[in-house]
Amino acid sequence: MISKADSLHAISVFAQLPSATLEDIARVAVPRAYETGQTIIFEGDPCTAAYFVARGHARVARVSAGGREQVLARLGPGQSFNTVPLFQEDGVNRATVRAVDEVRLYAIAKKDLIALLRTNPKLGLALLRDFADRLDHLTDLVEDLSLRTVRGRLARFLLEQAETGAVSPRLTQAEIAARLGTVREMIGRTLGDLADDNLIRMDRDRIVLLDRQGLEHEVHG
Amino acid sequence: MNDWVLPQIDLDRCDRCGLCVHHCPTQAVEMGGRGPFIARSLDCTYCTDCEAMCPQVAIICPFEIVWVEREVSR
Repeated sequence: MISKADSLHAISVFAQLPSATLEDIARVAVPRAYETGQTIIFEGDPCTAAYFVARGHARVARVSAGGREQVLARLGPGQSFNTVPLFQEDGVNRATVRAVDEVRLYAIAKKDLIALLRTNPKLGLALLRDFADRLDHLTDLVEDLSLRTVRGRLARFLLEQAETGAVSPRLTQAEIAARLGTVREMIGRTLGDLADDNLIRMDRDRIVLLDRQGLEHEVHG
Repeated sequence: MNDWVLPQIDLDRCDRCGLCVHHCPTQAVEMGGRGPFIARSLDCTYCTDCEAMCPQVAIICPFEIVWVEREVSR
């Protein structure tokens, strides 16, 4: 049977930590399970814990006052969320996180994680590395939203999604819009434009990519 | 035909407003006792209008994203 410390070792932020530190973390990490579609945390609620995904996928999103959703990240096994507001006085959850499929994760209460950091400098460094990666991701997202057209963003998204392994993801146009910071109608229209230019083909429930060079030109052009 | 994918309707979310039935350009959708269903599946073109119209987000039309050389895998 896999111990809690072993399963924590598979989480990237903890992967390089010595076993004694993992044992310390295991003592305060609480396993939790969520069903598909279940909300794990709500944006705006007081931040009480950080979360570390052991199994399944979670969707991190913020919703504007007008109801438009921007997906900030899709997290998988080994990734963490809600670590940033943990370090703020009276920090609140900065996004709503939902289970995309069945999720198993570990929750570590704010006070417990802060206490661990006081005695485990390696854990502090590991979290700083995680923050640096997150900052990189958000910088890329800002660049994408501010410098690229929807057509360029969509071309990049299609290229990325088609490379994600043996099992292709299945996404609605609304989901793609939320990931790219635009609206569904715009995605439908832009897919039509890309198809008119023979870069893709809309084939019932499939978006078939036809021209790698052409799509890459859209990304960088 | 096993791979004739149809829009997915979540009857728990559906409030039976009927917009999907009225807006389907091929009249493939009908209202049944428990809610809407694709009555004429071969007429459905997967245009996604029903998904776009549904105020309850009860209908979804997901897409797979694949390279042209991999499309024979299904």
